[in-house]
Amino acid sequence: MSAIEETKREISVPKVAARKTASETTLLERIVTFAVGLALVGALKFFVRNAMSGYDMAGLLLVAATVAAVGIQRVLDFLSSVRVGVSLLVLLVLASMVGMLVMQVNVEGFEDYYAGLTPSQKLLGSYLNFFDIYHSRYFNFLLLVLSLNIVLTSIDHFPKAWTYIARKKLDASPHWLRGQEQHAVVTVAGVERGAAVERIAAAFRAAGLKPTVTEKKGKTFVFGESGAWNRLGAYAVHVALLTIFTGGFLTAQLGRTGQMPLKPGATANEMSEIVFRIDDATQEFTPARDSFPLPFQVTCTDIQQKLIKTDGPITADNTLDWSTQVRIKDETGERDALIHLNHPYDYGGYRFFQQSFQARGNARSIKLRLTPERGGEPLEVSIRRDGEATLADGTRIAYTNFFPEFVMAGGQPDTASGDYNRPAAMLTVYPATGGTPERAFAFSTELPEGIPVGAAKGGYKFKLLEFEKVPDVHILSIQRDPGANIVYLGFALLALTLCAVFFFSHRRVWAHVEERDAHNFEVTLGGNTNRNRLAFGDRFKRLAEAIGGPSATAENANEVS
Amino acid sequence: MSEVMKQPAVLNTPEMGLKGSTFFSFLPAALAVAGAVALTLLRIRMGGDAFISDGALMMLALACYMTAAVFHLTNLYAPSNLFQRLGLWCATAGVFFNLASWGVRWVAAHDRELAIISRQGGEMPWLWRYVPFANLYDLSLAFAFGAGITTLLIAHRKSFRFLGAITLPLAAMILVLARFIGGELINLPPVLDSYWRPIHVGIASLSYGIALVCFAVAVIYLLKDGVKTEAMGIWSSIFGLAIIASISRFSIFSPGTFGTYTASTFLPTASGGRFPLPLRADIPYAGWLLVLTGLLLVGVIFAFGRYVARHDEAARKWGHRLLKGALVAQALSIVVMVSQVKTLTDVALCDGARPAGVACLDKRQYPKFGEFLAKQRGARPEQIAQMSPAQLVGDADEFVKARSGEMFLSLNANPVELSALITALVATLFVIIFSFRTEKLREALPPLEKIDSLMYKTAGVTFAGLALLLMTGAIWANESWGRYWGWDSKETGAFVAWLTYAGFLHTRISRGWTGRASAYFAIVAFLLVIFTYLGVSYLLPGLHSYA
Repeated sequence: MSAIEETKREISVPKVAARKTASETTLLERIVTFAVGLALVGALKFFVRNAMSGYDMAGLLLVAATVAAVGIQRVLDFLSSVRVGVSLLVLLVLASMVGMLVMQVNVEGFEDYYAGLTPSQKLLGSYLNFFDIYHSRYFNFLLLVLSLNIVLTSIDHFPKAWTYIARKKLDASPHWLRGQEQHAVVTVAGVERGAAVERIAAAFRAAGLKPTVTEKKGKTFVFGESGAWNRLGAYAVHVALLTIFTGGFLTAQLGRTGQMPLKPGATANEMSEIVFRIDDATQEFTPARDSFPLPFQVTCTDIQQKLIKTDGPITADNTLDWSTQVRIKDETGERDALIHLNHPYDYGGYRFFQQSFQARGNARSIKLRLTPERGGEPLEVSIRRDGEATLADGTRIAYTNFFPEFVMAGGQPDTASGDYNRPAAMLTVYPATGGTPERAFAFSTELPEGIPVGAAKGGYKFKLLEFEKVPDVHILSIQRDPGANIVYLGFALLALTLCAVFFFSHRRVWAHVEERDAHNFEVTLGGNTNRNRLAFGDRFKRLAEAIGGPSATAENANEVS
Repeated sequence: MSEVMKQPAVLNTPEMGLKGSTFFSFLPAALAVAGAVALTLLRIRMGGDAFISDGALMMLALACYMTAAVFHLTNLYAPSNLFQRLGLWCATAGVFFNLASWGVRWVAAHDRELAIISRQGGEMPWLWRYVPFANLYDLSLAFAFGAGITTLLIAHRKSFRFLGAITLPLAAMILVLARFIGGELINLPPVLDSYWRPIHVGIASLSYGIALVCFAVAVIYLLKDGVKTEAMGIWSSIFGLAIIASISRFSIFSPGTFGTYTASTFLPTASGGRFPLPLRADIPYAGWLLVLTGLLLVGVIFAFGRYVARHDEAARKWGHRLLKGALVAQALSIVVMVSQVKTLTDVALCDGARPAGVACLDKRQYPKFGEFLAKQRGARPEQIAQMSPAQLVGDADEFVKARSGEMFLSLNANPVELSALITALVATLFVIIFSFRTEKLREALPPLEKIDSLMYKTAGVTFAGLALLLMTGAIWANESWGRYWGWDSKETGAFVAWLTYAGFLHTRISRGWTGRASAYFAIVAFLLVIFTYLGVSYLLPGLHSYA
């Protein structure tokens, strides 16, 4: 695969010899292979008794039987062809297309979609695992076989690519040179052989090709090349891909994600995740919530919402950013962390993200005006969520709850919606005299006289002057992903290697120098490249001109823009 | 025997003389970019009041792309240095306007939110928040730029300047789509407010643009390789038929709604915007014209099919006549559709009678619309399931009676349908153009192996670009959502397109597939890119629903 672009013109390298004997597997060998396969399956079954289903067993048996019947060598040969790789790619494309066109269980709105399907669609879809195709066994099997194919194919093709570096072709016959994609014949007259060769080598160097001069049977060959390592680029790309696959596998096996809804004051030591299952027998779709314990305790100390229009609603549309302040506690101690949108926080192998918020309005802090009942100047105090303020006369006021659209339902305060239509703050007033605490409400609108909820408490009437909007709850997403770093490493490798492969090329040019008359040399030039043929054509033309003069390239005219 | 020579030799290296020409051959691309940057800076200095708007710049870009395409096409048939240069400089102007429109939009988006936030005294967010990569309009603008700049870069090779004849109309189609989507600035969904957005979407638009050029090269390859224009006519007709059959919720060829084309309706919102309703109103005559177009296209397929299979000359002639007829019919249906969407002012439920100047609503949509209304009113799915059909229809009927006076039609309602129809029209037009003196055209094209090399090169760069797209997307997803891969439909779409380009590259060794087979591969891969770019946003649910 070194030479994605290389066609069959290239010198053939003998195939790895060991493969030749493959077809001569005897019956006995096959029986032995099958027995070994069975024993392996049996051992596997023994070790992972609980995790294996009948399907796995049947699949493994099938694989073992195939291997036994066809012979390991042949199976390996089959798997190590690029053709099979391309077929696997096509299968993967088809499976992915199915996954795109059929809605997947974890997508929002699946419940509605699934409810709208006919029973036969449900049966077929769940039988073929179409609703969760990317986690199905056959999809993973496809990825596994593809990885195997990449490894085997690379092993198969690597020796050929390596010869470009280890065993360079230094000489070439004029006939062969004329068969190259770029070729030209030029004459160098009036110089000694040494000077002629030096002129060619210098022209090679000027064209960025490293020249090597070889003498053979009275003829001189100059071979120049650049970027031979480019032949190995494809392998590096595949190594990068396999690194990514490995990381992905680790994530799938060991990774965990979950949600944690937090409001100030709340503490949690587990995360939960909604898992979707379609029952195999009844085709019934049931979402369920799975919880995982965390090795630490998370306490929310504050949440804040940065809005675009501060007088607008609490919606994603009107939000610039939102942040949650938490305190994480475990046996090593306590630490504070701020998690806001697109700025996750890492701790102990876990990563905390802002995921979403509940659009029910609350207030992070309130500003109240207190009018003393017995007359006097009104006071203004600000209180934070779940905080309290002590007045000069010793009265304590605690801000205990907030209702964006205040209603009384069954004698209890409640909210009719999550929008700030009739905001009210619920307070607890501790009289300075030490009497029983009383519940009070502060509204932003003036209430008519005589309404019970507007009554003065602890000697004061309350009015809600201002408040800072914040949602009731922020929902954090927590992730433990031991594969992520490996995937990132693979990404870095892939980016580098892809650039190295596609923006560079291996260019080779040979010159065959033959003396026609005294001090009159015929130089046959030929060259090829594995990529970027157009630019190579231009460079080759310039090279030929540098050696033989402007008229040199009449034979192989390539226009230069 | 061998020795590596190390002595430097003084030679008259031709590199020196060629460096200048290399620089000048990249001048158009450099000028377009520099000009656009300068215009954007000017916009920052001068403010928005007296300055040309990004929408106007976009229309200028569209005009320049079309003009350049015409020059390039003319030049293919009647080679003239003047036309070639005019084509190149028009394309340069197009790319300049395109990028300038994007830059001005960036400044405009910043100004808009600055006005809101500074009024309240809040702190101003960072500038990257306003990079115009917020929705499909922005992406389309950048996609067209990607295609344009790639065309200009390739034009440094004189023999490939003609490529603009195909790529620029395609870029123009994308701008037309953008025009129909509508360029209102939106509030950025907060999760998109990350520095990964310009990186990720920037790579997306450039690699899509290169993919488009790769597609154009593949089409040129097929043309040069002697694929009959009649065969191309069959494919373009199938494409046109597929579009006519699938627009307007498959209504045009479906029994029951045969011959009706319906357009989506809007309701005005309090803030002066518009709210799309899942309620479609009948556009008179457009449906029947599309049926006629469809019939003509079927005729084209049969006639050309007969010619390709049996070399029937008469069928060929008839095919070409039908194709021209189809072009006229396509153009007519688009004109009728657009003019009626612009002139029909009333949307109403029609029972039997069909008053003039009214776009009629079909009552058969009511059950679905009733469900939509219930959902809008906050009903849970299980509550909706319990509602009787009569109740849903009743709700819908009541709503339409009350609000149909406000409902209106707009060209922005069905951007993909309209631009797909226009693209089908352009495809037909190109087949007709290619059929005219095909041999002369083939001679004017560069040799096959050069086209093949360019196809391989663009496909390779697209492959690398899509890989970077997937990676940056994965990293961003991991930083924002806590997972780098979730088989979201847009992710999968890009992945599938990437795999197809991988297939393209690998078939070149395993089967020695170069040339024609490769060209088909490149075409399929580009169709998948387009599916990722549009189909996923409009057809499939997922996280990328904003763009």
